[in-house]
Amino acid sequence: MDDRRDLWRMGWAAFCLGLPFLFVLAPIGTFILYSFWHNESGALVREFTLENYRAFFADPVFRSIYLQTVALCLGATIVNLVAGYGIALFASRRPPRLRFALILMFMLPLFTSYIIKVYAVRGILGHRGVLNELLIASGLISEPITAFIFSQSAIFLTFIVLYLPFAILPIYLSIERIPENLGTASADLGGSQMDEIRHIILPLSLPGVVVAALFNFVMTFGDFVTPTMVGGTEGFTFGRIVFSQFGVALNWPLGAALAVILLATSVLAVGVAGLAMRWSTAR
Amino acid sequence: MNQRSDVLTLEAVGKSFGTTTVLRDISLSVASNEFLTILGPSGSGKTTILRLIAGFEAPTTGRIMLDGADISQMPINRRPFNTVFQDYALFPHLSVRRNVGYGLMVRGVPKAEIGPRVEAVLAIVGLQDYALRLPRELSGGQRQRVALARAIICEPRVILLDEPLAALDVALRAQMCKFLKDIQRRLDIAFVFITHDQQEAIAMSDRIVVMRDGRIEQIGGPEELYGFPASRFVAGFFGENNLIDGVVRAIDGARCEVETPIGPLWGVTCGPAAAVGAEVHLSIRPEALVPGATEGHRFLVRDAQFAGPTTLIEAQGVEAPEVTLRLRLPSGGTRALPSVGDVVAIGWSEADARVIAAEGSNG
Ligand SMILES: Nc1ncnc2c1ncn2[C@@H]1O[C@H](COP(=O)(O)OP(=O)(O)O)[C@@H](O)[C@H]1O
Ligand SMILES: [Mg+2]
Repeated sequence: MDDRRDLWRMGWAAFCLGLPFLFVLAPIGTFILYSFWHNESGALVREFTLENYRAFFADPVFRSIYLQTVALCLGATIVNLVAGYGIALFASRRPPRLRFALILMFMLPLFTSYIIKVYAVRGILGHRGVLNELLIASGLISEPITAFIFSQSAIFLTFIVLYLPFAILPIYLSIERIPENLGTASADLGGSQMDEIRHIILPLSLPGVVVAALFNFVMTFGDFVTPTMVGGTEGFTFGRIVFSQFGVALNWPLGAALAVILLATSVLAVGVAGLAMRWSTAR
Repeated sequence: MNQRSDVLTLEAVGKSFGTTTVLRDISLSVASNEFLTILGPSGSGKTTILRLIAGFEAPTTGRIMLDGADISQMPINRRPFNTVFQDYALFPHLSVRRNVGYGLMVRGVPKAEIGPRVEAVLAIVGLQDYALRLPRELSGGQRQRVALARAIICEPRVILLDEPLAALDVALRAQMCKFLKDIQRRLDIAFVFITHDQQEAIAMSDRIVVMRDGRIEQIGGPEELYGFPASRFVAGFFGENNLIDGVVRAIDGARCEVETPIGPLWGVTCGPAAAVGAEVHLSIRPEALVPGATEGHRFLVRDAQFAGPTTLIEAQGVEAPEVTLRLRLPSGGTRALPSVGDVVAIGWSEADARVIAAEGSNG
């Protein structure tokens, strides 16, 4: 009887540990390995080399696109955190039913296909898109603004639209978890609404903000589909370069090295976010 | 006519949530240095009264007055009251020091002034050495002291405490009882204290408000409520009263004669006057009963429970088996205690028997 239960338990543990190993760690291990090999006239040479990493650090184009992408994704993340926090806070202060409806409304984009969303944004930002038509109709401009599409700013705006729900949801959930009577206690002690938000809600919802920031940064940083579709030739991002090494240039070792750098950047982001959690308590 | 100065007055306050009425016609006043206890079973509306005073809810009817001025519409953060919440509601991310200093910080008191004041208040509650701890690093009793310190530091006119002792174990509760009472005397401000425990209420209060189903059942000092309960409900709440059912036979001023299964008995009327023929209870406290009296009714001892300084004895009427009396006798008395199976005559002084109106169908 007991033996059997132990067997089950071991099987379950093996499954829980084995699955991520098989589908996450093994592929990562493989491309880390690849990143230390290199291509010679189209053939893979399985010899240890740092050539690929050297290529990244030596190439000013790679470096500047990398930094540009970091800035772009940080910018989109910050905008989404601010907007997401405002929306989540607003929703959390409505009566329960309205609260649910609001959050559902903002989560709706998650239920639609990625491609549809990107095309919807293109429809808004494009040369003859809704935004330009509106601006022309209002007389603010006479010619359509082309910068909205096929540029860094187009990617930026699309990132905001696509990833805002990933900012709202974790923030909203963490605000929801704060016991109501802490706010009441703040008011009871003489605090205003602003005091409550600043000294109670904000620090206690910091875990949600950190998760939202991670989602946004990591997902936008790795995204190569959005930049490809709305970025045009101006909107080159690090994700697109990685992709092009695999799909176009067929230089897998270099692509793998760039992917490792992408991964390292994300891990670094997780580390920085972890440090930020310390601000939530004050002795 | 008003020689006690009332800081807080509730005038015919009622509260409904949607169609359910939670409080009806609550009128009471709190003197500026009074320890007032609101006592009642769970769900009787105690917390709601406190929330109305603090401003967390607005009354549906009636008025709440501070120094004679209506404050029903005053926002929470402007009322000179502070609450010690039932679950303390300490800010989990802030240290003891910052929790206690919160009220001063949001009022814009300079940092240099907050520090010493926090230290002074922590000294009052005996937590000087815990200033840098987080709430989760404290015991239940310590958390409660922080909650109290956090309220005290704001120098409120009234401190509102919602069952602050309920979460503590018995030994700590007795200690905190004394501690709270001491602090209240020392600060010389009003405490409105909620409990469902009559012992706590008796031990600490200047006056007690007994609540039942959203109404005030009786207001009075501890001795008054203990000695002269106005209703069966109050009599039942204060310890293990003996209640003998009967019908009023004759009335003589504040006394009346009640026909009971053990014969006609005289008692002192409590609460509203009874009429001849009215159904009443005769209430006698267990410690007022005397066994072995020369004159008395014959009872068979059914049970004897030793409870330290006193022993609780349960006895059943020999002539009227439907009547059961409980006696509380000193364990170490000069006279031997009756033992199970003995038949004893039980008597009492007429002044210790109270006549209480029986409950009507509508309570
Ligand atoms: N916000 C509310 N909505 C509806 N009913 C409530 C609300 N708050 C309290 N009540 C009801 O009011 C009654 C009294 O509650 P409460 O004041 O908390 O009692 P107590 O503190 O004496 O246990 C209870 O029946 C409770 O269900
Ligand atoms: Mg309560």
